Formats: sequence, structure tokens, C-alpha cells
Amino acid sequence: MSDKHDKHEHAPMVDEVSFFEILEVSVRELAIEKGLFSAEDHRRFTEFAETISPAPAARLVARSWLDPEFKKRALADGFKASREVGVDWLKPTGFGTPSDFCDLRVLEDTPKIKHVVVCTLCSCYPRPILGQSPEWYRTPNYRRRLVRWPRQVLAEFGLQLPPDVEVRVEDSNQKCRFMVMPMRPAGTEGWTEDQLAAIVTRDCMIGVALPHPDRKANAKRPLHLAKNPVHH
Amino acid sequence: MSADRTRPPVHVPKETRAAWESPDPTPITLLEKIRSEGRVWEDLAEQYGVTNPDPPWKTSLVGTCEALAEAECLGTLDRRASEDELSENLYQDLPYPERELVSLAHTMIRRGLIDEEELARRMEAVAKRLNS
Repeated sequence: MSDKHDKHEHAPMVDEVSFFEILEVSVRELAIEKGLFSAEDHRRFTEFAETISPAPAARLVARSWLDPEFKKRALADGFKASREVGVDWLKPTGFGTPSDFCDLRVLEDTPKIKHVVVCTLCSCYPRPILGQSPEWYRTPNYRRRLVRWPRQVLAEFGLQLPPDVEVRVEDSNQKCRFMVMPMRPAGTEGWTEDQLAAIVTRDCMIGVALPHPDRKANAKRPLHLAKNPVHH
Repeated sequence: MSADRTRPPVHVPKETRAAWESPDPTPITLLEKIRSEGRVWEDLAEQYGVTNPDPPWKTSLVGTCEALAEAECLGTLDRRASEDELSENLYQDLPYPERELVSLAHTMIRRGLIDEEELARRMEAVAKRLNS
């Protein structure tokens, strides 16, 4: 038994407590002690954050590609269709979270229309179904420039669109969250839902990438600082 | 969100209720020390061979931000606006999510939700506890 245990390879771990970790614990403990929120509030929201990922959204897209009836439901009411892929937008409070409003719109790409999502104001994002937003999505640089020069910004992501394709930028707002339903790529004929879901990456559903039969991960994106200071 | 609605009402300083309030960008000594001396996750992960892209405290930080918003102590929009400003100026050299964390602490101190000295004392105690 002990031999087996000794032979077991442990995953590497960081054996050091950083200032940042100490700061996170300290801020949280003080907030709880002061009664700003309870430990139970914190636990529920943290657990929620640990459960979300882009997997349900990828499932929603893949199923839509295979099932025209489901696709109709997804386009008509993203909130209800989310339940069919295991996402309840009302969790964890019964009213969602303070950052996630319960109205999901699914934007369908066509051969002539490409959608892309942004939040110019802050970083609103359909977290319950798409997980935490990537860092670049939060940056003022992406937020400011996408609405002004969408075609150029998409090109920076490696997505060059023909001139006859209209780019529609959807700005998240206080009431709505958006995700993109990209077109099913050629070369995936006969694929199962699982196979299709594997190529629907987070970036495809934000709208800055297209699904490809050989691509299952998001590309690493460079970050750019904004040239001008932030003023709201 | 908590089922415990019997908690006494929290006194939230009036200034914390204002939306679109720019944070006081004056550096905070304690946070400056963390900014300059703290080891960020990407360095630690590389040194110890860990592939997780996010530090283990990231989801707990999300929990804190959500709980503050839910309690109407610091709304999401207000917090993010403050983070944007501080991230592009004071904490520009920190990666994400470290700068989100330090910006949150900065905003909470400037708005009187927590005090710099008590935070310093708490950090000392937490450091002893986690390193014991």
C-alpha cells in the first residue's frame, strides 16, 4: 500500500504563499467581520464561479447545428434553451448574480452576417453559460476599439472577413447578455454532438474566431493597453 | 442572497453609494509594497511547474466582488470603472487577476469600507497563519 502511494505521482503545486493570496484572504475576512456580507454569501458566489465554463454554450451551439427545432428554441429564448444544456440563469440566488442579468440573446451568424460581442461599459458577459470572461475582453482597448473598427480588431484576432460580410457588434447592456452561434464549418459532416461541441471554442462564441474542424482551443491573445486614459 | 435576512443592517458610508466615482489615485503604501514585492501567479506557476492559468484565490475574489455587489456596498459597474482607471495607471505593471484584486482593495480603502492599517494588521495575521 505504502509502495503504491510512494509511486503515485503528485501534481505539482505552488509551495509558497504570495502577498496576493494573503491580501485576498484578508480583504474577504475583514469584509465578513464588518458584516458587509456573510461567509455563506461568499461561499455561494465562489462555488458558482467554480462551476461555470464555456462547455454548456458549446453544447448549445453543437446541438443547434444538429437539431433545427432546438435551434429555433435557442434563437427564440436563450434563457429557456440554456436549461436544456444544464444552465439555470437564476442560480445561485434565485435571481441570478448581481453581475448576470437573466436575458440571453443568441446571435446567429449567416454567410453574410458576422456577430461579435463586447461590453463597452465594463465587462458584462454571459458567464452562467460561457464561464469567466478572458482578460482581453475586459480591457478598455478591446472595448473601445471594437465598436469603432470592428473589422480591423477582428483581423488582429486572425479573423479576416470578406468585404461583403456585414459585421454586427452587439454591446452588452444592463438587460441583455449575448453569445454568438457561429456557422457550422465544412468538414464536420456526420459528426456527433460531442465532436462538434469540442470545436466550438469560447472565442467562437464571443465572435472573434470561427470554428474549425482541427481547432479545439482558444489562441493566446496579446494584450494592448489603451492609448487614452479611461473616463466614463 | 443569503437566507439570513436577520443580520443587522450594514452601515455603508454615503460615498460608497455614488456611481461613476473616480477612485482617488493616490498610491496606498501597503498596496504599493504588495505591487512591488508580491510574486504574481504566472511567476509562481512557472517556478513550481503548475499549469493552472489562474491562481487558486481567483474564484474566491469573484465571490467577494459578487457578495459586495449583492450587498450594495460596491456595485459591479462602479467597481469595474474604478478597476479600469487604476489598472491603466497605478497598477499597470501587474497582470490580471492580481491587478483586479489590488484595485478592489484600493477602492475599498478609499471608500472607507476597510481601513489600510487594519488591513495591514490582518495581512500580518493571515501570513502567520498560512505559513505556520
